[in-house]
Amino acid sequence: MALALTLIAQGAEAKVYRARLHADRAAQDVLLKHRFHKQYRHASLDASLTRSRVAGEARALIKCLRSGVSVPGIRMVDAPNGLLAIEWIQGSSVRFLLGSSDEPLDEPVDGDLPVSDQPQEHQHPLEPYGVSQDALMVLIGVEIAKMHLADVIHGDLTTSNMMLRLPSSSPSTSRLVLIDFGLAYTSSLVEDKAVDLYVLERAFASTHPDSEPLFTSVLNAYQTRMGKQWHAVARRLDEVRLRGRKRSMVG
Amino acid sequence: METFTYTHFPAQSSVVHIALFTSVGNAKDIRARIVKASTLGGPEGDAERGAVNFAFIDARLVTSRLHLQTAVYQAILSEAQGSLRTKTVHSEILWALNPSNNISEAIRRYGVSDSSSALLVVRIGSPDLKDVESLMRAIVDGTLSPLADLAALTDWSTVKKYYKLNGEPAIKEVAQDPEREREIVDNIIVSSVAMKSVQA
Repeated sequence: MALALTLIAQGAEAKVYRARLHADRAAQDVLLKHRFHKQYRHASLDASLTRSRVAGEARALIKCLRSGVSVPGIRMVDAPNGLLAIEWIQGSSVRFLLGSSDEPLDEPVDGDLPVSDQPQEHQHPLEPYGVSQDALMVLIGVEIAKMHLADVIHGDLTTSNMMLRLPSSSPSTSRLVLIDFGLAYTSSLVEDKAVDLYVLERAFASTHPDSEPLFTSVLNAYQTRMGKQWHAVARRLDEVRLRGRKRSMVG
Repeated sequence: METFTYTHFPAQSSVVHIALFTSVGNAKDIRARIVKASTLGGPEGDAERGAVNFAFIDARLVTSRLHLQTAVYQAILSEAQGSLRTKTVHSEILWALNPSNNISEAIRRYGVSDSSSALLVVRIGSPDLKDVESLMRAIVDGTLSPLADLAALTDWSTVKKYYKLNGEPAIKEVAQDPEREREIVDNIIVSSVAMKSVQA
């Protein structure tokens, strides 16, 4: 399926590899997401679900790319086999950079991280990125606002689904990258945007201790970028906070 | 000429040869030969079709080597899965490069035209196929150039027009920075080619 495969992670839905598509010295690595066959589903249902999910993810990504939202570029799509290859992002997840509450700081995602060559024991993980924690929150808020202005709903906004690029790789490119559009869809509804934000707020609260001021900075940056669309989303976000993510009690 | 091997594809389409010819003097003849070969019957027709069995791509519309590699990869993938939309894996490359589903438009825009002066020539074949470079030289009258020269040939404004990128926020954002704009255009186009099989 590709050259030089290295398994990075496996979830319930897919396996993720670092790979090389072209046997070319100039070629860059890609991230290969393989939605493997699910034994528990009827074969034809599995095939059509896999196909439409790969297609959906690719369509959300291209929409974001055209709208100037910082997401990985698409490198290969093989929907019948459940394969999607995207640009490899050199950097770390925001979850790792903020230091989550329940996991030790040893993100095994990337061997090239400067983590290993740190002699001093407790360098802050954000240090190599030259970005303060608050500036990082602003980047997050702006990128989500750009995505929502393009009517793309991420569907699973968490700090694990955002990455910060290391400055060395392509200095001018936007630093914060939104990833994993597996649950993304298109919608212009205020409700969907508010729920997207609410999911992120809960993710912050559950993964990062004392995160209220952090999420407030995210929202402030989001508000500025959203302009006049902000008020409707803000009002709806308050409602969603009271009732939870699901609008009706069914399902 | 550069050669890339894809070991995970069926042997008969596992090796890709790519060459860039500049100062091409016989684009008109190449085009006429391809058209004629497609209508010729008998063993003579088979021989002529073999001789022009390449993809001839207008180099001005290719933004990077990754752009071309991505189109080639998706074309081989379609062939391997029996889902070619055009007659051959070589014409499939042209189809993959064009944003719409219109085959004749893809060939008209991205294929060799009478006025082409720089051509990317691609041959997808088996590892047994030898000396592809002389097969290419036998058809194209031009200067074989390194693929890196592609960067200087790209016609960015036509590329942006075909992909309808001029009104997009991603492009407007970087209007002040042409170098950055090219990076972004290339990334969007590579991504579009990669996802063409599932485009909305």
